[in-house]
Amino acid sequence: MFRYLMAVGLVLFLPGLYALGLSLYDGPSAWMVDSQTFWGTPISLFVFWIGLAHAGTLLSAVFVALDIKLDRRTALIAELSTLSSLVFAAIYPLMHLGVIENFYMVAPFADARGNFANVRSPLVWDFCCIAVYALLSLLFFVTHLKARKTPSLEKYRKPMAWLLFPLVLWVHTIVSLDFATTFVPEWRGAFFPVYFIAGAIFSGLALVNLILCTEGYRVRLLERLQLICSWFMCAIWIWDFMLKGSFCTSAFVFAGLFPQLRMVSVIRENKWGRVALSLSVLLGLFLERLYLVSPEFGSSATATFGWVDLGLLMFSVGGFMLVFFGARRLLDRYAESAGSYFGEVDGSDMAKAEEAEEAEREGFRGIEKTKKGFYIQPWSSEEYRQLRFPLLLGVVVTALFTLWIFEQQSFENVELSFANVIPLWYPLFAFMAALTLFVRAYFVEKSFVLHRAEKIIGGALLLCLGACAGAFFAGGASEKPVEQFVRDMDAVSGVHAEDLNRVAMVWNARCATCHGTDGRFNEKFVREYYPVPQKLDLARLDSLGVDSLVRVVWNGRNNMNSYAGRLTLDEARGLVLYMRHLAQKVPEEETEGKK
Amino acid sequence: MTPLANALACLIALGCALFLWRKGSSPYRNGALLAGFLLLFGVFTYFGGEMFDARSINLSLEMYPFRMMALCLCLSTTSLALYRRRYLVLAQALWFWVELFGGIALFYRGLDVAWTRILAIFWMGFCSTFLSKISKEMEFCLMVFWLAVWVFF
Amino acid sequence: MGMNRRDFIKSCSLVAMMGLLGACRKIPLDKIAGEPSLKQFQDEVRLAMSQTKKMLDLVKVSKPGPLRIPGASSVNRFGMAIDLDLCDGCGECILACNLENNVPLVTAEEAQKGHFMHWMELRGGSPLMCAHCGNAPCEKVCPTGAASHTPDGLSTMMYKRCTGSRFCGANCPIKARKFNFNDAQKMGLARKFNNEVPLREKGVMEKCSLCLHRLQNDRLQFKTLSAEEWRGRGVTTACSDACKRRAIIFGNWLDEKSPLVREKLPT
Repeated sequence: MFRYLMAVGLVLFLPGLYALGLSLYDGPSAWMVDSQTFWGTPISLFVFWIGLAHAGTLLSAVFVALDIKLDRRTALIAELSTLSSLVFAAIYPLMHLGVIENFYMVAPFADARGNFANVRSPLVWDFCCIAVYALLSLLFFVTHLKARKTPSLEKYRKPMAWLLFPLVLWVHTIVSLDFATTFVPEWRGAFFPVYFIAGAIFSGLALVNLILCTEGYRVRLLERLQLICSWFMCAIWIWDFMLKGSFCTSAFVFAGLFPQLRMVSVIRENKWGRVALSLSVLLGLFLERLYLVSPEFGSSATATFGWVDLGLLMFSVGGFMLVFFGARRLLDRYAESAGSYFGEVDGSDMAKAEEAEEAEREGFRGIEKTKKGFYIQPWSSEEYRQLRFPLLLGVVVTALFTLWIFEQQSFENVELSFANVIPLWYPLFAFMAALTLFVRAYFVEKSFVLHRAEKIIGGALLLCLGACAGAFFAGGASEKPVEQFVRDMDAVSGVHAEDLNRVAMVWNARCATCHGTDGRFNEKFVREYYPVPQKLDLARLDSLGVDSLVRVVWNGRNNMNSYAGRLTLDEARGLVLYMRHLAQKVPEEETEGKK
Repeated sequence: MTPLANALACLIALGCALFLWRKGSSPYRNGALLAGFLLLFGVFTYFGGEMFDARSINLSLEMYPFRMMALCLCLSTTSLALYRRRYLVLAQALWFWVELFGGIALFYRGLDVAWTRILAIFWMGFCSTFLSKISKEMEFCLMVFWLAVWVFF
Repeated sequence: MGMNRRDFIKSCSLVAMMGLLGACRKIPLDKIAGEPSLKQFQDEVRLAMSQTKKMLDLVKVSKPGPLRIPGASSVNRFGMAIDLDLCDGCGECILACNLENNVPLVTAEEAQKGHFMHWMELRGGSPLMCAHCGNAPCEKVCPTGAASHTPDGLSTMMYKRCTGSRFCGANCPIKARKFNFNDAQKMGLARKFNNEVPLREKGVMEKCSLCLHRLQNDRLQFKTLSAEEWRGRGVTTACSDACKRRAIIFGNWLDEKSPLVREKLPT
């Protein structure tokens, strides 16, 4: 069964891959030039897949946190669908960039030149949230799988679930703020956080129900929730209509009207009927996001949903099928029997489960009763004891990070407020807490057992991460091919070394920001850079000589970029001579004293 | 939105809260009621508040129906039979969520964030986690707090 | 099938090899096309002017005071005013801006649709360009910080820092920003009329810079040769130079000797 689904996925994936390749080569003009809002299908697909990713975490983490009983198999499938969706959700924001190689500049991370990402931008919040969400989801999934073999890991599931629960909602809230913080008329809405979360839960439930149909069983609780969500979405759409006067009819029909057919028992009991219902919901919600992000599809006559757009959609759908069912088959193959990894199917209803719990509670009086769920103080529960230290660490790191942001040089001219930084708090907090839990499980208690293959992969990933961090810190080169610059420079009249005034202007333009104009050169920034630049006074300049200094200017040194493409040799020589001229102005007593 | 309409809004929310989570009600009934209430609140905000005045939409009313719904959910949790404290905290968290992120969205469009309101809701939610037994008096206190925050903050 | 499996695989691989060899011819991917002529730029401006665009609703604003950001200069805030009564929609400003800032041409299809790269546009007969908002929505949402505000009041763009997310363009209320969909240099659509201004790469956003390069050159010269405070006196933008009816006035809102402040602007 899974093989055939993978084959279908492959058939969809290959043309999609072609569309993706073309989009990467041509850039944004491949899929939109007519856009009213500058964002097109890739962002709609991004929002769509992030929404689908949330359902998995909802069903696994949230249900665990709230003690709602869901069988192990469904929970694991949900988590797997989250991870598969996240893979594709992460690809789209990268591919839609105009200059993809600059993507790292979005990370709020130090840069050797003092640049810092603009933390006021919702896209920066997006980057952090989704990165942390992907990491924590992976950790949660792996913990869940390993908990079967190592029961001592079981106590980490609930704390991690409590970390993931707000994170899921936070991520989609930030995604909604991508739109709600703008002045675009179609994206107006302070209510977008709730709107998007409701849509995400709705589409995610539809996806999980669809997947359960392929597994061959059903969970009525999830189908009921799907129907209830459709009512919610209709109410929200009506409010949206009252506010803006625009109504997405196709979304309403597919995701609002058709799901009501679940009340017809013929459709409900038939597997293909349920598949059709879920597909209808997914289609409707995709269309809704499409029309939200690209209003020109509804209003303008010339804007068309071209084949590249379709190809991008097929890429994600086919790719998801490949990844999900491939992983599913892989997990099946490495288990002794189909059930042991994923657990048995539990067909109990929510009502029956609650009844069973109540019976249990009535039965036992005394201490056992108080140990269940929230009947004890949350601050004395087992989960909180696990989380005490990680939470503290998370709070401390988040506070330090906020202070660090506020003192960044990039924000000197910017009115930074807490409202700009709050969205970054929880991802960082959750990341630190989860990291601490992992360190505790792996190093301290040694209950998180990794096989050798996993260790190698983990080590390789860490190395990659370190390499990337170094590359991001250093930042890209700023030169164009030398020939192009030389051509440009030749056109501009060159500066002669003897023309002190002209050279002074070049110095003020290029060098003065770091080396100053008072002849004290490196003293200005000696504390800010490492390796520490050497002290340059007149004697030192003379001993170094003009040629070697020209070479430093030309090739760069440590934190100073090379100026090879940006100055002519003549100008460089003039600058070095000017340095000597400036150094002469420094009073003699100072240099004497420092010797 | 006039203070009268504001007060009327919280009365409506209180009235609606009586119908939710009744004993023996199915999730369908509760879900449909909640969606219906959201619709009602939307209609109330549209006709009750000064939504369209002086050529521009009053921005702060964009999330008003959702704030009403959050308040309604908070008020309704005081009558739950099981898991009351857990859902009390969650409902307050929802209200906090709506206020905080709605406020941040509006901040980018020029309005100030209502920090006192957000902090008040957060503080009440946080303190609610310390409650061990919610007596009738405590229920009443909580409801009064919430209505006070709604009307005055 | 007539042949057996081995022969089938052999013939398939042979076909594949021939296909790969055929594809190995040198495709001139990086061939840089020739430069466009001045006339092409002039024609494009004329085409742009022929396509009527609706003007935005006008609102009354008070005369700008000092910029209200931390570290703002208390003596310089550069800006521009356009006298809509004097302007007759001749479009000379647009051509001057394009030549001054090396604004690229666009392809024929984009020109037909009206998607030009011109930093200035005629909307309803009056020129419109970036307003250099004091509380700019574009600067707030740029993820990398490429869109920033100078203490002198200019909304600037760092092309090298731009990652092309186009969030700034989406958030601009007057749609004054342009995105480089094409690699203009490779397609022969760009020409470096002015060596002071860099040619932009594909994938970056651009917009009116209030001729920042002219301001910078003037500032450098002034500060090198004199110790007084620089007020940007005498600097003009390309569009204000080109306007025959002197409808575009560029100056310093905080300088009482600036033409912006001196001339009696209706308040």
